[in-house]
Amino acid sequence: MADTALTEAQTQPGFGASLTSGLRAHAWGLGSVFGGLLLWEFISRVIVGNKLFLAAPSQVVVAFIELTRSGELSKHIYISGLEFLLGYGIACILGILLGLAMAQSKAAKQALQPWVSGLYATPTVALAPLFILWFGIGIMSKVVVVAVLVIFPVVINTEAGLRTTSPQLIETVRSFGANARQIFFKVALPSALPFIFAGLKLGIGRGLIGVVVAELFGSRAGLGQLISQSAETFNMPALFAGVTILAAAGIAMTSGFGWLERKLLPWRE
Amino acid sequence: MTDVTVKLAVDRLTKKFGSLEVLQSISAEIGRGEFVSIVGPSGCGKTTFLRIVGGLEKANSGEVRLDGRVLTGPGSDRGFVFQQDNLLPWRTVLANTEIGPEIGGYRNADQRKKTMQLLKLVGLSGFENYYPRQLSGGMRQRVNLARALAVDPDLLLMDEPFSALDAQTREIMQTELLRIWEEGRKTVLFVTHQIDEAVYLSDRVFVFARRPGRINEIVEIDLPRPRPLSMKRTPEFVAYVDHIWKLIEDDVRASVLEEHA
Repeated sequence: MADTALTEAQTQPGFGASLTSGLRAHAWGLGSVFGGLLLWEFISRVIVGNKLFLAAPSQVVVAFIELTRSGELSKHIYISGLEFLLGYGIACILGILLGLAMAQSKAAKQALQPWVSGLYATPTVALAPLFILWFGIGIMSKVVVVAVLVIFPVVINTEAGLRTTSPQLIETVRSFGANARQIFFKVALPSALPFIFAGLKLGIGRGLIGVVVAELFGSRAGLGQLISQSAETFNMPALFAGVTILAAAGIAMTSGFGWLERKLLPWRE
Repeated sequence: MTDVTVKLAVDRLTKKFGSLEVLQSISAEIGRGEFVSIVGPSGCGKTTFLRIVGGLEKANSGEVRLDGRVLTGPGSDRGFVFQQDNLLPWRTVLANTEIGPEIGGYRNADQRKKTMQLLKLVGLSGFENYYPRQLSGGMRQRVNLARALAVDPDLLLMDEPFSALDAQTREIMQTELLRIWEEGRKTVLFVTHQIDEAVYLSDRVFVFARRPGRINEIVEIDLPRPRPLSMKRTPEFVAYVDHIWKLIEDDVRASVLEEHA
């Protein structure tokens, strides 16, 4: 099948041909999504028939357009996006630094390990109300919740990546007279990068959950607030619009990361 | 010894792991441009010996001198070719080959030219931008060799570099190594457990004995160069192999029995 797509693309070059071959390559995935949407539309319109319980995809699209027109949606996306980016950014920087410290120093490892292990296993998202109490109803409390959720996989993966550096590779550069700094930058860090990336990727999902849950507990704006308010007013189309945007953001960021990984780590399979 | 042709001098080198004497007062001299192999049963300390010369391990007593200087640690005056290729998977063939000059802080356009010539010499022209995972085992060992040669070492140390390769690739790599060696005539210290490999490559073979590790006999290989692979079937060649095998046979039996005990 890939062969026929290739020859067609070669014999009739141009946008149309590449679009057809692209569609064909993803036929099952596209068919599944499209079929699912149709089924959803059918169930909500014919079987449920009540917008208060289940909104049909077409109604979600209408809500989406209305929310966009009123400017409400962009406000929510902006607030949630800001909270996510700040929390995620802080967690990445701090997480990588703490992971480096734990891999480099025995004292740091011993001092931090119990906290990292304990807090990683704790469902810290349940502490969101507490953070709102401490840091207020504004974006600050959400940034903290996101950072707390994201930081642990980043720390753990950074540390593990550096710790599992192959001793043979270290010995190889040492045979050329490399010093500790050169060993770190030329061997340990590059070999840890795939692990660090995996930690950052895990953090995306956890960070999105953090934003929404923290907003549910108390906020003035954001996608979580849109969702909770829509639920309270039985506005199912708006609720689904919010959820859809979150799902799309998660998918976009994860695949964006995949792309970045292939660019930055081309040596991997 | 004040002989100018002595490249490497090893003087009463002793190494212990706990109470186990791995190397017992080893003394030897290797001349400039000489190809010397070390063979011996497992546990005879041949790899430990090579690692001490490479500065990767410390001896308990004795010293190693390269061109009269006492060696105290690793350095780019020696190029180490490892048993596993140990290529950095995130570096291309070119970047892997240049790691030595990069660490030494002298990577520049001139060096790049030399590296390209070196890659040509080991038969990897056109593969500069490949990653290690894209290469076969034989090609990876060529990069391993080029990487050691890139620092233009006075002494090339090779630790069973072909042991992970299949028999045919191994034979080809032996001829390739001789071809490359003929080009620059580096001084080579080559550890192997394959007797025919040692005889085929070397000017002299140091036959080690075990418990404690020591030099049992030094066998001079008086075979003309260049050596075609067909030489391995000549009576002279076979006689050398037989002689060395007899020297280590009892030791090998003992070590095999020990491993299965």
